[in-house]
Amino acid sequence: MEAEIIVSSLTKRYSNGTEALKGLTLDVKRGDFFVLLGQNGAGKSTLIKVLTTLLDKDAGHFSIGGLNPEQQKTEIQRYLGVASQENEIDPGEKVENLLIFQGKLFGLSTPDAKSRTEELINAFQLSEYRSKKAGILSGGNKRKLHCALALVHRPHVLFLDEPTVGMDPLARANFWEVINQLNKKEQTTIFLTTQYLDEADKNANTMAFILDGKIVYDGTIHGFKSLVSKSDSMSLDESYLEFIKSFSEQNTTNYSK
Amino acid sequence: MNSNILLTHRAIVKLVKQPSAPLMGFGMSLFFLVVYNAGIGGIGSLDIFAGKGYLSFLFPIAIISLAMGSSAGAGQTLNADMQSGYFKRLYFSPASRWALIAAPMIADVLPSLFFTAILLCVGAVFGVTFQFGILSVLGVLLLSLLWSVTLSGFSAGIMIRTGQAQSAAIVTNAIFPLLFLSTTFLPRELITAKWLLAVSWGNPVTYILEGCRYLLAGTSDARFFLIAVVVFSITTIISLSFALSSARKIKL
Repeated sequence: MEAEIIVSSLTKRYSNGTEALKGLTLDVKRGDFFVLLGQNGAGKSTLIKVLTTLLDKDAGHFSIGGLNPEQQKTEIQRYLGVASQENEIDPGEKVENLLIFQGKLFGLSTPDAKSRTEELINAFQLSEYRSKKAGILSGGNKRKLHCALALVHRPHVLFLDEPTVGMDPLARANFWEVINQLNKKEQTTIFLTTQYLDEADKNANTMAFILDGKIVYDGTIHGFKSLVSKSDSMSLDESYLEFIKSFSEQNTTNYSK
Repeated sequence: MNSNILLTHRAIVKLVKQPSAPLMGFGMSLFFLVVYNAGIGGIGSLDIFAGKGYLSFLFPIAIISLAMGSSAGAGQTLNADMQSGYFKRLYFSPASRWALIAAPMIADVLPSLFFTAILLCVGAVFGVTFQFGILSVLGVLLLSLLWSVTLSGFSAGIMIRTGQAQSAAIVTNAIFPLLFLSTTFLPRELITAKWLLAVSWGNPVTYILEGCRYLLAGTSDARFFLIAVVVFSITTIISLSFALSSARKIKL
């Protein structure tokens, strides 16, 4: 399958001297449901910020859908959908109006924006809140609206950064149903980061493990589990902890040497 | 519709729906006028006011404080979007980055102009004179526009560059003392402190005040109006350049 996201030798150093990405290389194939795992501070958010053009890289290359984000900023924004960690909603605007405005902002005609809004309101079960101001929604519904806004323009690649934080179990199930449909029916590439590894285990098929600004594993989730343990019964959660433990032990051993 | 027009339209509609900031600026300006005119308005009978009264002399400070207290000074539209996180959502859209900054600036400056026009009407009702009729009105609106854009541009630029909505207050806080280091309440002939006179001539606010006084009461000189137009055209250009060049330095 063709690579959708190609990252090559990417580096990023912050002004305080922290080197968040250290020559990171990664490929995500078109139509993949990909999850990026790693501890806090490993570089996940920095990588997403660079890939979504929020941050400039220091060195290296990357492309998304064959587009060069540095030269084709407008095209890349149409190609991507981004649901960041924090909700990005206008609290003073009604749910329906926010979605319609978002559609128009991406060049949809008013009827198309309205029709897409209808689809998303139904998909995310926001019908009864359509005329309510976004600011008065519950935390879970704000999160749903936030994710729906990222989908209005039918992006080819969807970045989801901790998307289900604040959602109740029912809302989560509904959310993953929508995302899975998008991935399977529309072949949308999903780039996910989450600390809920059961969700990643259930929904994603490929993954990478980032440690200290470098990718230390890149492949299938099944392959990752097999790498950690020959036993097939381990969950992604357990495999993750085991992997971290083995790395810490390796570092301790190296240190004592 | 073009995304840049959409953004501007949205910003204006939001201000119309939530006009608290421009209304506060308007209220503050009226307060200044009423309180100071009530307190020291009696000096308007002195010869130096050329029979035009103190209100016409004092009126320009209301124009200046209007922009400072309204959306233009606070960068209200951008400020609200940055605080809610919605600015990031707009940033991820295909709208050009300079439009993300220009649209809220336009929306902030328009109410400032609108309320200046209302303030002029209120002033006219209460006896403010217009030396050159409609030309005086246009001249005052021009100075108000330049002053508002200057404030709005610096506020927006600082917010964008620091990534902190609260930093808009830096501009108004920095400029606030300039309002008093000038010929704000008394003509230069009545200011006795030499240092204040000296400082006032280096203070750009003085030229707006005196420029407006030339247009309204006719108690000042045309060259002050011209200097004000030149100085504030330059500050407008600098401020706009500062704001729009921030588009490449957006911190989120």
